Amino acid sequence: MKFTLLVNGIKMNTEAPADTSLLYLLRDYLHLTGTKEGCNIGECGACSVLLDGKLVNSCLILAAQANGREVKTIEGVHALENDGPNDLQQAFIDYGAVQCGFCIPGMVLAGESLLNSNPNPNRTEIRAAIAGNLCRCTGYQQIVDAIQATAVKRQEKNSRG
Amino acid sequence: MAKTQFIGKPATRVDALEKVMGTAKFVADYSVPNMLVSRCLRSTLPHARILSIDITGAQNIPGVRAVITSEDFVNHSRFGFPIEDMYMLAYQRVRFVGDPIVAIAADNEDILLAALAAVKVDLEPLPGVFDPRLALQPDAPLVGENPREAEGHPRGNLVIDYIVRQGDPDAVLRDCDITVEAEYTTMHQEHAYIETEGALAIPWPGSSGVTIYAPCQSPFIAKNNVIKTIGLEQEDVRVIQPYVGGAFGGKDDTMYQTATQVAKLALVSGQPVQMLFSREESMIASYKRDAMVMQLKVGAKKDGTLQACKFHGIVDSGAYSAITPFTAWRSSIHAMGPYRYQACAVDTDVVYTNNGYAGAFRGFGNTEVCYAIELAVDEIASRLKMDPIDLRLKNCLRPFDTTSHGQRLGEDVAIVECLEQVRKISDWDRRRKEIPQGDPKQIRPGEFRRGIGVAAVFHGISLGAEGKDFAAGTLRINDDNTLTLTSGLTDYGAGSRTVYTLIAAETLGIDPNRIHMLRPDTDTALDSGPTVASRATIMGGNATQEAAMRLDTILLTAAAGLFHCQMVEVLREGENYIGPNEEPATFDQVVDQARQMGLVLSTQGRWNAPENHWSFESGSGKPYFAYHYGAQVAEVLVDTGTGKVEVTGYWAAHNTGTVIFPQGVLGQVFGGITQGLGYALMERVDYDQGYIQTTNFDEYLIPTAMDVPDIVGTFVEKPFADGPYGAKNIAEPGLVPAAPAIINAIYHATGRRIQNLPANLERVLIGKDLRKEGSNTACKLGLHQE
Repeated sequence: MKFTLLVNGIKMNTEAPADTSLLYLLRDYLHLTGTKEGCNIGECGACSVLLDGKLVNSCLILAAQANGREVKTIEGVHALENDGPNDLQQAFIDYGAVQCGFCIPGMVLAGESLLNSNPNPNRTEIRAAIAGNLCRCTGYQQIVDAIQATAVKRQEKNSRG
Repeated sequence: MAKTQFIGKPATRVDALEKVMGTAKFVADYSVPNMLVSRCLRSTLPHARILSIDITGAQNIPGVRAVITSEDFVNHSRFGFPIEDMYMLAYQRVRFVGDPIVAIAADNEDILLAALAAVKVDLEPLPGVFDPRLALQPDAPLVGENPREAEGHPRGNLVIDYIVRQGDPDAVLRDCDITVEAEYTTMHQEHAYIETEGALAIPWPGSSGVTIYAPCQSPFIAKNNVIKTIGLEQEDVRVIQPYVGGAFGGKDDTMYQTATQVAKLALVSGQPVQMLFSREESMIASYKRDAMVMQLKVGAKKDGTLQACKFHGIVDSGAYSAITPFTAWRSSIHAMGPYRYQACAVDTDVVYTNNGYAGAFRGFGNTEVCYAIELAVDEIASRLKMDPIDLRLKNCLRPFDTTSHGQRLGEDVAIVECLEQVRKISDWDRRRKEIPQGDPKQIRPGEFRRGIGVAAVFHGISLGAEGKDFAAGTLRINDDNTLTLTSGLTDYGAGSRTVYTLIAAETLGIDPNRIHMLRPDTDTALDSGPTVASRATIMGGNATQEAAMRLDTILLTAAAGLFHCQMVEVLREGENYIGPNEEPATFDQVVDQARQMGLVLSTQGRWNAPENHWSFESGSGKPYFAYHYGAQVAEVLVDTGTGKVEVTGYWAAHNTGTVIFPQGVLGQVFGGITQGLGYALMERVDYDQGYIQTTNFDEYLIPTAMDVPDIVGTFVEKPFADGPYGAKNIAEPGLVPAAPAIINAIYHATGRRIQNLPANLERVLIGKDLRKEGSNTACKLGLHQE
């Protein structure tokens, strides 16, 4: 089956079996390996991507469902001006939110998704927003710190106009 | 401590950028031309004799490139340490559901699945042992490869046993005013690293050599296993650590099997071979934290002075011994907790069963026994109506005490400081006063009850008397005046690459950004033993410091040459070297001078741990050269209508010595406590007649961000003389006391002390288990081969 997706702003064409999941399409056919497989049943969130701006587990989405739609993966998250980290990614670095790093691409996307819909989340809301993303290393606290700090900074920036 | 530039200062993880950008490559992210996919056919029976294996059907399928069994290896692929009782692929018998029998490499997944289905394995089921309490009965079926005696020996399933002895505890217990006697049980725990097992092997063209990418506890152990079981030479095998997506002790034996299987498949097929585990395969095939049954009797005087401790533990090693002889030894050493006694006796039996198999998991035997002793000690406090922290302070080990093992401790003992600190930061005294002790008879059903509990921990540093204990590192200055640092120890995410970078930068007085710390590779790093036992900071840190001091001496020699002065006259200011005439030279100038003087800008450092000794016969000695100390307080809210426990507050104080990498140490504490919270409340690998009942994250629950409160972590930074810049370890001890702290808090809330982990809904609510209906084989094996 032929697939055409807008991935990280770039139109990508590929051919894959019709039953390919979005996760495998991204990893095996488009070679975007920043999206990880942790459980393949939609429990761990390591495969999180944004589909038309909405956070999904790409292991549970058929590539066919994503056909013609817009997908954002970790490879599409970076600073506006260059390929370096954006403010949320930099906060993950600064707050020690990263250990083994395997869940981190999904966590970053979950954080972005939250901040898009709720620019001023409290810690409980942040915890709820990343509850679908399992991390076995960090205990989540520094991840929550990083998302919270980014929210505050983005708000300050916006209020300055 | 002297003023430092980098040690203990805010720093960021050296690999954080790659990880947040998604560019850090894990083994599943590697793809090379002509790469085959591979998988193992695994046993679906818990115990059976292999009557025959017919692989011709699989071999005849086009696109199948290699099919291997134990016959393709030296000595039937036998391996294992310290006891060699395991195979890379099963030989003659399978001993647990998930035991690998045949490995196949093929062009793609479809061909691979067809090939797995085409293998004919004739298995004759054998009776199994599923209850570790019955494993040593005279009529128990024998599980192990080489039971220590012939069939019929009354203790045929005994892997090994250990003792600790001090005085005559029975006599002392008879004179005690109060004794607590109870049985405590813990369940198998799954490591649940989010990255499952996997490996990639690439054969070298025109030779017998192979390069293996494998996320494992030690690339050197992987290499040696490949050499031994495939029959290769040292120079034929290179093992490279890709990024590791979490390990927690779990990427040992199973990963050595996987690495060896892909190496052999690559050598047979002549093509690169990748093997990746599904989550189901990972949970079924990998080893767990062992389950333990513990009988404990502790006696005290009326004033709360602990007098004697008797412990008997049965460790379920499962189908293979793996590293369990060492975890069980650590259990034995730590079974009486960080307390003083007049007498004690510890007996630990490690037994074979057909319940998967057990191995290393963060805490390494201490996690289980800490739960038991910290509940028992708490129970004594409760019966004597003493404050639980006061009772612990009254009895805990102090500097220069002699332990129950007969070990005289040093001045670094810091448990009093940890208890006092955690008491303060948790506002313990106020909370204990405000929250009344729960009483099951008084609780109205549906009432929410709050409780607060404490647990203390000591944890022997590094390997102890398990074996030789050393680490090594290398440091060199490259042509562009950057530095390359290596260690034989792996950073799974705990932060050791950053710690070593900071130590080297501090020692050399240079910007950490100049230093590039490599991941371990058997061709570039020096063997340092396995990255286990929270040994990275002390062992690898000392080795790094040693290498850096040697390089520093070389550079000072060059600076002295440049300034025409004595080495002792050279001062440092930032990266600059200052001569007696206050003439500064940059780092680059000094390095150039060193080159002109013909000095070799490459050093090695090795650090041997101080000597330990243990007498297995007398059950005494000096098991570890020193210990980490800590104390944690948990606050819980229990819904007495449903049994749901919410952890609402958490405080920890740990004796880390000098903190080298602050955000890393905090991350270890937060992460460890979270794993311990899962162990306390929800994590449970259930083997039913040998069939694992939890094979993915829908059934095996680990804590989410919603299950953990904000944690307050603090450190007792009493410098440790044997540690680099005074540092101690932290990785494991953060986890160990979490379960007993939470269970003791539940007791405070409800008056019910939960003696079987985990404290799931029904145990909290009605004090016993409810059984799942249905067949034990209905679990989702997900082995993709039926």
